[in-house]
Amino acid sequence: MELNIYAYKCKRCGQIHYPYKTICKKCGENDHNEFDIVPLPKKGKLLTYTTLYNPPSDYEVPTLSLGIVELEGGHRITGQLNIKNPKIGMNVEGKIEVVRKEAYNKHLGMVFYQA
Amino acid sequence: MREVYVAGIGITSFTRLEYPLVEIAAYPGLMALRDSGLKKVDHIYVANMGGGRVNGQTGLASAVVDHLSLTPAGAETIENGPASGASAIKQGFMAVASGMHDVVMVIGAERMREVNQLEATDFVATLTHPLAEYIYGVTLPSLAGMFARLYMEKYGVTSRHLAMVAVKNHYNAMDNFYAHLHEEITLEGILDSPEASTNNPYVADPLRFYDMCPVSDGGACLILASVEVMKKINKPMIRLAGIGQATDTHAVHERKDPTDLLAVREAAKQSFAMAGVKPEDVDVAELHDAFTILEIAESEEVGFFKKGEGHIALEKGETKIGGKIPINPSGGLKAKGHPVGATGVGQAHEIVLQLRGEAKKRQVKNAKIGFTCNFGGFGNNVVCLTFIKEK
Repeated sequence: MELNIYAYKCKRCGQIHYPYKTICKKCGENDHNEFDIVPLPKKGKLLTYTTLYNPPSDYEVPTLSLGIVELEGGHRITGQLNIKNPKIGMNVEGKIEVVRKEAYNKHLGMVFYQA
Repeated sequence: MREVYVAGIGITSFTRLEYPLVEIAAYPGLMALRDSGLKKVDHIYVANMGGGRVNGQTGLASAVVDHLSLTPAGAETIENGPASGASAIKQGFMAVASGMHDVVMVIGAERMREVNQLEATDFVATLTHPLAEYIYGVTLPSLAGMFARLYMEKYGVTSRHLAMVAVKNHYNAMDNFYAHLHEEITLEGILDSPEASTNNPYVADPLRFYDMCPVSDGGACLILASVEVMKKINKPMIRLAGIGQATDTHAVHERKDPTDLLAVREAAKQSFAMAGVKPEDVDVAELHDAFTILEIAESEEVGFFKKGEGHIALEKGETKIGGKIPINPSGGLKAKGHPVGATGVGQAHEIVLQLRGEAKKRQVKNAKIGFTCNFGGFGNNVVCLTFIKEK
């Protein structure tokens, strides 16, 4: 099964939300959970990025690169980067990987590579 | 609404403090009582963000009111992230303005150095979006790093401009006894010399060590009172004239233009409108420079300079003490320190000192109107205050 990050599409007006909201930001309506889940695209352009030299203590890595990506279709997502020399505007493609490990928990999220 | 004045102020050093959170909160309260000459208050608001998580102390306000032997006055703890301080002042204002109380004590207190720097950063990072940001390892410095990169690309701000903010604020803090960092720095030492990359390494590229505020302990207090109370005590009439507050999306990536700080713009606009003044009337301001880039961005969003021109004004020295609009004469969060829940009250403390003319060597001459911007989250909850000195 292909892993995806899902966004929430309003059943009434079609507005897509990522992350989830209780009430649609466009039409202001929602009976609880009146959203269709739709997979977010994985290709996009790098909008901005940073490299952290003191990542949170549960990461056993010396540096951690993070970025905001504008995906095809215009939706944005924050994710990790696995790119040697990132540049604003470069084409990137995401994969779903483990992005944070806790004692009994692994969190999956989007990790971007150069496209 | 009744008019609300500042009757008394108090502050601790912003640094590493080796006494419990309750005392960090109580001590500035004691100073403010002495400053005002008042013995009793009707209500206490205590702003704090991490007591429960970092210090294992919940119900802080109840502990503080007893510590100050001010029971049975009402007491509440206010948590609104790094904007807790100004939020608590807002609650205090509303209590006096509504006529419900005559004298209200507003305290901000935080003890972050009880844990190490990584734990402190992680504690603040819990205010980011849990699923869309936090799980990726997003911290406040990383949001600031991404913001700075885009800002620099778009408006021509350089690392030199960021360093100039740090140099200015460190210089101002030299004259502030209560500041965390008493360390004069130079552009050469943190940017130009061969040792600069050792002195000033990257933390969240393009932001370096000297672009970040320190992790501080500290407390500050304002006593707010009605005009009837002010007539009984002999204190300068500093009026809390304007309050504005606005919010923005929780996840930063959802904002249309991630370099816009809409909540800052809206909160400042409300605050100026309520006070009946314009940004150009302001004589002295304390802006929330947790990261140097934020001082530049906020100076534009609140209306002191046009968008994209804040760094040019900084270059010209307009934001120094003696300049057109002195920003962060206290040293700002950058050098005075950033005990998160206390910061908003600390900013107001500095403005009251400046308007009273009690700021000594760092005094801005003839300051009559002062302004603070307390920036919560990464710009998702902002509170701006305007103070006016009356004759």
